[in-house]
Amino acid sequence: MLTYILRRMALALSVILATLVSSFLLFFAGPSDPAQAMCPETRCNPARLEAITKSIGLDKPLTEQFFAYFKGLFVGRDFVYAGDTVHCGAPCLGFSFVTRRSVNEELFTRFPNTVVLALMAAVVFVTVGVTLGILAAVRRGSAADRGLVGSSQVLGSIPYYVLALLVALYPVILWNILPQYSSISAGVGPYFMGMLAPALILGLVTSASYVRYTRNSMIETLSMDYIRTARSKGINERVVLFKHGFRAAMSPIATILGLDIAALLTGTLITEQIFGVDGIGRRGLAALKSFDLPVIMGTVLIGAVVVVIMNLVVDIAYSFIDPRVRLS
Amino acid sequence: MPEPSAGTLIEVSEETASTTAPETKDVRTGRSPGQVAWARLKQDKVAIVCSVIILFFLLVAIFAPLLVSLEAVDPITGAKADVGTVHTELVDFNGLPTVGPSSAHWLGVEPRLGRDLFARWAYGARPSLIIGFVAAFASTLIGVTLGLIGGYLGGASDKFISWVIDFFLSLPILLLVIAIIPIMQKRIAAGGDLTAEETSTIRFVVLIVILVVFGWMGLARLVRGEVKSLREREFVQAARAIGVPTRSILFREILPNLVGPIIVSASIAVPAYITYEATLSYLGAGLVEPTASWGRTIADAQNLFATYPLWLWPSVIGLSLLVLALSLLGDSIRDAFDPTSRR
Repeated sequence: MLTYILRRMALALSVILATLVSSFLLFFAGPSDPAQAMCPETRCNPARLEAITKSIGLDKPLTEQFFAYFKGLFVGRDFVYAGDTVHCGAPCLGFSFVTRRSVNEELFTRFPNTVVLALMAAVVFVTVGVTLGILAAVRRGSAADRGLVGSSQVLGSIPYYVLALLVALYPVILWNILPQYSSISAGVGPYFMGMLAPALILGLVTSASYVRYTRNSMIETLSMDYIRTARSKGINERVVLFKHGFRAAMSPIATILGLDIAALLTGTLITEQIFGVDGIGRRGLAALKSFDLPVIMGTVLIGAVVVVIMNLVVDIAYSFIDPRVRLS
Repeated sequence: MPEPSAGTLIEVSEETASTTAPETKDVRTGRSPGQVAWARLKQDKVAIVCSVIILFFLLVAIFAPLLVSLEAVDPITGAKADVGTVHTELVDFNGLPTVGPSSAHWLGVEPRLGRDLFARWAYGARPSLIIGFVAAFASTLIGVTLGLIGGYLGGASDKFISWVIDFFLSLPILLLVIAIIPIMQKRIAAGGDLTAEETSTIRFVVLIVILVVFGWMGLARLVRGEVKSLREREFVQAARAIGVPTRSILFREILPNLVGPIIVSASIAVPAYITYEATLSYLGAGLVEPTASWGRTIADAQNLFATYPLWLWPSVIGLSLLVLALSLLGDSIRDAFDPTSRR
């Protein structure tokens, strides 16, 4: 067990390292002139270029730049730019030349909003998806089953951003049925009320696929011989469904849940953008408009680390649910 | 009798006979699992409706110039509408159109630029369909190849491929794609001044490449897993024991068992890529002007959604309907290939 966890952690670490190296190469060696690319103005004057180059050492060899960045992740780093010295504490993700603040300041302050949105959505889709999925599996072939499967197919098939956009435009902006997003400084109540519309649409659309996963997994499990054996022994149907069936049916769902963390992050990105939630996804997109490379890179790194850690947690949890995984 | 397709074989032999078992001296004509699936698909009403819708959009995309030429000559500009020409004389000083839907402009004209909205809509079906099908084909090819290699060979190459799959799957792909596209574009276009059309074409190609690079992992993982379990099955072990070469084992013993999942995954990939393109275009990292794209139109039109819904809705409906039809058809194909879902 311990070796499995250690091996899995080593794998996760290697993925994070590879992400770090490849995104560093993408952002620092990708553009033909990184200093020009990071400059907030389209026509950057030479003095400004010089300042940018100096502050993050773009004139030094690439390996040296990388180690400076890498070191900053553990011990923090100071940026001297336009006469100011900005301290960026560990894990330092860089410095934005557009806002003249550290990337940490730009992103970590917004991260909680993304987490709240994702968690609220997760609560919606796990409860709604699994409950309705079991219901559909148990009542297989009934009108309720067909209705659930049909509507989940339709809901899950239409491009998510179109649905989210329509919800944002009509019920929220035009008809004022649900409140618009407001930052936490405006009060905790309005904050969560404002999160309701984005979390609901993200959660409900995501739940569509979970209805189908749960239903299929449950139907497959219920058609197994051991379920028939359990039934033939006269075990209470409820016990058969939940103790014998549900537990076995849940392990594929757990895997999908782990893999879906990446999709959920994508979902929050689109949702934040459409509903104006001030999370890291929206900040990353705003950085794209101003070509603020350090902020984009920071967003990519945070996203990758979150996904890798969540996958690690799911894999380890999975090995407890299904012992066969450890042995392979 | 080979074990893996037992489900399919039983069903086939119930209906007629099986061609996949030549050793049985059964003279009844048989059908392959693919033919069975095709027969089932033809019975599926949802699949037929979806196919009609998809065919409609394919025809719109192919015959877009012809359809647009059916619009009447505009009385103000004195010319027929086309996809690109800007007519500022058709909008007022606020940018709102002065003409509504008419025989010259079936869906009215675009606010601010005065371009014909029907032409934008009809031409907008093109990039969606091209990107969807090309990217799905290419990523299926890559996914199957890597999945087969990793799953069958095992050992170091499997470890490496699984690692690459894990690596790619753990990247925040949408964000990364959004970041890579402009960087790649600047790299390629660094040479000189390009026209808007050239920039747009470069963006189109870059978009397909990036979507494929980040889109093969799901199928590769699926194929790898299937192959890993198939190679331990008795019929593959038997084939190996009697000395069947690896290539034959891969292509004649294992791959036929995966035709279903591969077709299903490819058919589900098409709407997924179309969605991706539209999402990227909406977020400003996908297709750029002057290419007509539903995603871009939706992004542009959302600010005037209340005053000028005719700008927003055709693209919303077109995109949703096309993706919905493709997805539901994919689901029907999956059901048709699934021996356990008998109707």
